[in-house]
Amino acid sequence: MGELVISNVDKIYRPRRKAPVHAVQSLSLTVKPGEITALLGSSGCGKTSTLRMIAGFEDVSHGTISLDGRDIHMLAPSARGVAMAFEAYSLYPPLTIAENMAFALKAAKLSAAESNAKVKAMAEMLEISDILNKYPTSVSGGQQQRASLGRALVRKASLYLLDEPMGQLEPRLRAILRGRIKHYLREHKCTTILVTHDQTEANALADRIAVMEGGVLQQYATPAELKLRPANLFTGTFIGEPPMNVFNAGVKSGAKTVSFAIDGGVTLAYPASELSASVSSLLSKHQRVAIGVRPHALHVGKGPIKGKVVSCQWLGDQTHVAVEVASRTVVSVSHERVSLKTGSEVELNVAAGDLHLFDAASCNAIAHGSSPA
Amino acid sequence: MTQLELKSLTKSFGAYKVFDGLNLAAESGEIVVIFGGSGTGKTILLRLIAGVEEPTSGFIEIEGNDVADIAPEHRNIGMAFQNFALFPHMSAFENIATPLRAQNAGAGAVKAGVDNVAKLLKIDHVLGHAPRELSNGQKQRTALARALAAEPRILLLDDPLRNVDAKLRFEMRLELPRLLRQTGATVLYVTQDYKEAMALADRIAVIANGKFIQTATPEDIYLKPATLGVARLFGDPSINTADTKVEMIGKTANVTLGGVKVPINSAYKQDGNRDVTFGVRPEAVEINAPNRAGLVAKVMAVTPLNERTVLLLHSEGGWEFLASLPSSASNIPEPGAKVKATFAASGTHLFDKTTAERLHG
Repeated sequence: MGELVISNVDKIYRPRRKAPVHAVQSLSLTVKPGEITALLGSSGCGKTSTLRMIAGFEDVSHGTISLDGRDIHMLAPSARGVAMAFEAYSLYPPLTIAENMAFALKAAKLSAAESNAKVKAMAEMLEISDILNKYPTSVSGGQQQRASLGRALVRKASLYLLDEPMGQLEPRLRAILRGRIKHYLREHKCTTILVTHDQTEANALADRIAVMEGGVLQQYATPAELKLRPANLFTGTFIGEPPMNVFNAGVKSGAKTVSFAIDGGVTLAYPASELSASVSSLLSKHQRVAIGVRPHALHVGKGPIKGKVVSCQWLGDQTHVAVEVASRTVVSVSHERVSLKTGSEVELNVAAGDLHLFDAASCNAIAHGSSPA
Repeated sequence: MTQLELKSLTKSFGAYKVFDGLNLAAESGEIVVIFGGSGTGKTILLRLIAGVEEPTSGFIEIEGNDVADIAPEHRNIGMAFQNFALFPHMSAFENIATPLRAQNAGAGAVKAGVDNVAKLLKIDHVLGHAPRELSNGQKQRTALARALAAEPRILLLDDPLRNVDAKLRFEMRLELPRLLRQTGATVLYVTQDYKEAMALADRIAVIANGKFIQTATPEDIYLKPATLGVARLFGDPSINTADTKVEMIGKTANVTLGGVKVPINSAYKQDGNRDVTFGVRPEAVEINAPNRAGLVAKVMAVTPLNERTVLLLHSEGGWEFLASLPSSASNIPEPGAKVKATFAASGTHLFDKTTAERLHG
């Protein structure tokens, strides 16, 4: 239950005879006691370098990392009070799953009975009770991953570092284990950093998500805020599945009406009042914008966007409707069961409040609905 | 018109029976998805139809004719595989042209055929490239184009989206049905992804333990699963289940969940106790629906997943289950909240304890 403060941290790799690589650039981030933070990004974004610096497997090039007010970035990994679960499991092969998990409890000097009870409860939560007496090489990848996670969580630590902890999990278990692990971390007030490339995983588990790209922190916010107020086009399109629809458009902001001329011939017009005076005035400084519309905010019904149905796919709990608009495909999601014929003409609408507006050149957010970014 | 028919098709390797007595009739132009886990024999089935493997017994008929004595190249079948299987030393153009050249088509016809299908698949700009110069998505489209080039009557697609990234898989999933319809071919499409199966199929044939356990439209597979096994294969999160008893109280069926009797919305009306597996899909769990008796439960965790938000719930008697709500819903509770859960009829099922078959009433 510690507070982790990363301030102005850089990581520069200097490979011999090659140009230096600036993997992490002046990263500042605070994880509050008991908070679950996800470091999210695709490969090469700097999330794994950050994780390795916190764990102590990699030096910090500049800046400091402190845990509970104590600088830890110069300490040996074992002295940092950090528990880790790795993507590659790293279980001790000559020990059984139970022994692997109990090994983490050695330092705590518990009685055998206490240690057994903790391992047993953790194994139940992670559905690995039946393999406790097996050796790592004789169980599946998903089971090894759960054992590795169990070994990290069973001990007391100031900080838990979980590296892609659920990537190998069987889909049927994933949903229920996400819930149980989130509940466990909350109950035990575990300060946690979760590293993942999977935005669904980050959304499901984290209190706050740090979106990274090219070594730079793009946005650090709650899952809800990332959805509602993405700081830039990258975050907007990276978070959410199906992804946000993006239209490039010219903008005309008049006294009464704001209109967007989307490339390919569609025009969206809204009363200026619906976008608010402050947003209209911001838009008057722009000629071109990128408009982001989440799939659930793009409604099939009367509206200015005309197109042809490419496909209409019901998946049991939602329907994905793909529509060809101005020679590109946009996606509308409905939680109802919708039936539309391929090739039929439809209209789409989006409310002013659901528009995400980004500067065409910098890709930074200008406004979300009626509220300036 | 029936284009392709499998009659009591059986395949064994020595004592090991891969499948046993498969029957299927695919209409002309129909997309049939063969859905099942790995090792269920899906690929072998396609190989039998293509003619590169012989059945142990049973028949394969194309347009009413037994094809046992027809060589693979004369069956008028196109195939594409999950590993693309492009010839590395040939350009994309030459890869796509292979089936046309095999038919001894003239140079003009080959060019016209390749150009036509390349345009359809939006790879006309990379026809001169070798496979190693193509992205995974372009490789996959090239493989599809090759399968389509000779305008086959039957198209066998073996998990073609398996090895492309999630974004492209999603885009192709939206686009493929229209594309496949344009060819007019009868399609057998193999996948392990239930969303892909539901999105593409006219009908899904679910294969497990060497049999088609249900062959039906996506709607019927999802809403009326024949067995508990089928119900579990479709849906994410998968269906909640509990081994329990069902009994009638007055005119309402009740199940016992974690020791608590709960009325359910079901057509089941049989007298007496019966051992069953109760199943309810997470999206059929309603939270705090007014005017109905339900199961009191505590919200253990709230996990938002894109368009849906999943709740982990513990009922008062200790039954653990999931509910899935639209993320835009206004009634998403906080962790720790006490809620009342009721079960919508469309996603509530009872399965026989021993046969695992769904009970109809």
